[in-house]
Amino acid sequence: MLVKYFLTEEQSLLVELVKRIGEEYIAPYALNWDEKEAFDMKPIQALAHADLFGIIVPKEYGGLGMGVFEMCLAVEWLSYYCAGVSTTYAASFLGAYPIILFGSKEQKEKYLPDIASGKKLCAFALTEPQAGSDAFAIKTTAKKEGDYYILNGVKQWITNGGIADIYVVVALTDPAKGPRGASAFIVENGDPGFSVGKKEKKLGLKSSVTTDLIFNDCKIPAERLISREGTGFMVALRTLDYARCGAGAQALGVAQAAFDVSLKHAKRRIQFGQPVYNFQAVNHTFAEMAMRLEAARALVYQVAKFIDSSLKEFSGASAMAKCFATDQAMWICERAIQMMGGYGYMRDYPVQKFFRDVKCLQIYEGTNEIQKNVIARELSKLYK
Amino acid sequence: MGNFILAYGEYHNGKLHPASLEILTPLREIADKLKKKLVLFLLIEDAERLKEVKALERTLCDEIWYLESQEFKDFKDDLFGKVIAELVKETNPYGVFFPATPQGMALAPRVAGELGVGLCAHVNAFEVEGETLYMLRPSYGENIIAKLYSTTLPVMATVSLHAFPIREGNKRPEIKEITLKESVKFESKLKIRKVKPIKREPSRLTVAKVVLAGGLGLKRRENFEKLKILAEILEAEVGVTRPLYYAGWAEEDRMIGVSGVTVRPKLYIGFGISGAIQHTIGMENSEFIIAINTDKEAPLVKMAHLSLIVDAEKFLDALLRQLKEGGN
Amino acid sequence: MRIILCIKGVPKPETVKVDPETHTLKRESAELILNPFDRSAIEMAARLKERYGAEVIVISMGPPNVVPLLKEAYGVCADRMILLSDRVFAGSDTLATSRVLAKAIKKLSPFELILMGLKSADGETAQVPPETAALLGIPSLINVKDIFFEKGKIVAVRETEYTLEEIEVSPPLIASIYPKLDYLRPPSFKRLLEVRNKEPEILTSKDLGLKEEELGLSGSPTRVSGVFEKKFVERGEIWEGDPEELAKRLIILLKEKGFLKA
Repeated sequence: MLVKYFLTEEQSLLVELVKRIGEEYIAPYALNWDEKEAFDMKPIQALAHADLFGIIVPKEYGGLGMGVFEMCLAVEWLSYYCAGVSTTYAASFLGAYPIILFGSKEQKEKYLPDIASGKKLCAFALTEPQAGSDAFAIKTTAKKEGDYYILNGVKQWITNGGIADIYVVVALTDPAKGPRGASAFIVENGDPGFSVGKKEKKLGLKSSVTTDLIFNDCKIPAERLISREGTGFMVALRTLDYARCGAGAQALGVAQAAFDVSLKHAKRRIQFGQPVYNFQAVNHTFAEMAMRLEAARALVYQVAKFIDSSLKEFSGASAMAKCFATDQAMWICERAIQMMGGYGYMRDYPVQKFFRDVKCLQIYEGTNEIQKNVIARELSKLYK
Repeated sequence: MGNFILAYGEYHNGKLHPASLEILTPLREIADKLKKKLVLFLLIEDAERLKEVKALERTLCDEIWYLESQEFKDFKDDLFGKVIAELVKETNPYGVFFPATPQGMALAPRVAGELGVGLCAHVNAFEVEGETLYMLRPSYGENIIAKLYSTTLPVMATVSLHAFPIREGNKRPEIKEITLKESVKFESKLKIRKVKPIKREPSRLTVAKVVLAGGLGLKRRENFEKLKILAEILEAEVGVTRPLYYAGWAEEDRMIGVSGVTVRPKLYIGFGISGAIQHTIGMENSEFIIAINTDKEAPLVKMAHLSLIVDAEKFLDALLRQLKEGGN
Repeated sequence: MRIILCIKGVPKPETVKVDPETHTLKRESAELILNPFDRSAIEMAARLKERYGAEVIVISMGPPNVVPLLKEAYGVCADRMILLSDRVFAGSDTLATSRVLAKAIKKLSPFELILMGLKSADGETAQVPPETAALLGIPSLINVKDIFFEKGKIVAVRETEYTLEEIEVSPPLIASIYPKLDYLRPPSFKRLLEVRNKEPEILTSKDLGLKEEELGLSGSPTRVSGVFEKKFVERGEIWEGDPEELAKRLIILLKEKGFLKA
């Protein structure tokens, strides 16, 4: 890398450990998982043993008490080896953030130690068939009956569906109030009336699991409510503000991998008697890729540090990091294929996988169009 | 001191491990040179079953000794070690040798530890000079053979598997039961609770007529997969060098050389193998050796009957393509 | 419950240097990596720590450059690190090495279990675990796939050439671990951060009450009397050329020799 980012000793150690896990538990298998559309528990187990599910969990609950920046470093370098595995990993944070940020002391004590140790995997469930970008259109309901809530509805495209133990689910407790009538709940695998739908077939991120979640008179104790009734969307949006930067970090890892593979190829591939890298059309493309990648990285890192500085308002910054980095990564992966020509298109080589994987990053955790809405909304607040 | 040499006969369920017969081949020569008697000894639960072991009728040894006890039914590391150490103390052999089978490897160090004597591992050649017995094995990290001797008696070593051919003797060795003078209690701290036999496919690599071996010069794992395709065409078995085994490209039973297997095929082709002695020791007796390597000075190129100075990866691709086009 | 985990630093293959006189490895100047076979022993220790809350003490005999490897084991599961280091240990064969280990292990009494890798990737003798056990007068098992504790007894599952056996034994036991466990965990980030400020305890020959003549080259009954290179009398035929042409020639030769159907 031409740009240095001056990581602390701890951060460097973290990156080194993640790379080690990537080399040993992911790199030799990633293409095969992609080909077979297979989820493998081993890298997840390794991440758990490495305590890396505890990065953002406070120390008093058995975590490492680190910030969004460290979470981004871990996600970035896992994505370098397989964005599917990093999706499983990052999606678990998406499910953990609501408990970390808004959970009661009892909820934190009950769930966070197991989340930190990786014994329990999390998922976050907001999207529904009719409520994608228009999240407020959710229909899942949670009706209070005595000391319980009864959930009914269907959540769609939920990462870690079926493999997670803890699900944070947003449902309407008071449909009449619209978005203000939504609340967030913790649902556990095995709760009565909770089941998992079929596994989706995807273009990329094939080593991660995506399913529907079905709530059919799902009965959960009232103390599973996160924060208060009516705060569901506040919880969800704040969670996404925190986690979005992670999607940007994923983009960095995939783009870096695509960049490395294609550049090495261009240096070795001989055409017209010389490495194709010698041709200006090729090497200028790499120069452009490198600039975009480092610009994206600088933005993601800076925004992550900005969030960690515990300022209150960072939705706009977080949206920028996600949108910009994932757009650049999509472009870089596309160029990486072009720079490898036919090799880039073949499934024996990983670049086509990066290209398919990275596409999802522009879509999930809020499409990039929605990110621009957020940025525009925040800008409008500044320029009243 | 010690006018005989002991060789461990690994007995299991009516059969003698062939490796125990292999080690008799060099030991016979040593015994003759040093004018010692060669004794094959075994621990057995029921001496009646010795009759089942046909191999014992024509071996190279002068005598066969056995110790009998119900306790010898299963292999118990501590008991076997103690009994053999006691046998050594009472009879004073010049040397005690074990085949480098898993059992031999578990047992020899226990005996050496009990006796406090030296033990050489994976010996694959011996030399006798005057009264001294030298044991040869590749020296780690150097492309040389180290010549070892022991300052203690009895001389002890484990002998590499397949390093020596089994030869039959021309006389029927005398079979003797041995009882220990000292009242050694045949007791083990190990209680074998459950035993499940394992069916193992015998390694076809050691008996293959054609062996194709891959080394680091193959560069990528996919190329090793291509080597397997070539092996199918040539009805050959594939082997690897130690680095490839450690890289996880193949199972241990495919590793040729020290602590791996020894092969002696009619044709051996090494793809991208420089020929570290750890490997060549396991294939040097092949009838016809072909080396595929870019380095003219590589040890394997020097020892090969034919060397192709070419990139192994590119050559393999070309060879496979031509064979496919040729309809083979 | 106390488990003693013995690990070894082996030279990174590219950095191996050998003493030209003694033909023993110069470990001090080599870049040492964890003996790959020891990872299974570390994994087994970690599993037993998880299952039974065992205390794990990792020990290694070697020069000070094995400290990072002790820290690696600490990163996975060890509670204490002990470095057995002394100039007079250098050049030890398996017997002299086993003497050092046996003394160090005894010093850590009482213990239930000693775990080691099946063999080392450098010497590959696999002798040290049973040899150390014999010196300690305790049982040993090699190639152990799993270990349980049942009512104060150890139950070990070992694979021999013929059988898979379940063996009961009263502690202590030395077990060398089957090298291909299905999963080997990485170190924990938390523990790696913690171990940055820790150093292993160091034991020397004096601490262990060992005499110089029992150690190193002088305490090793197996000696190297000399070395020689293999000489090849006749150099074979050499073919050079481009891959396609050489492939063509080889196919013809294989057909002539009957290895390929004409």
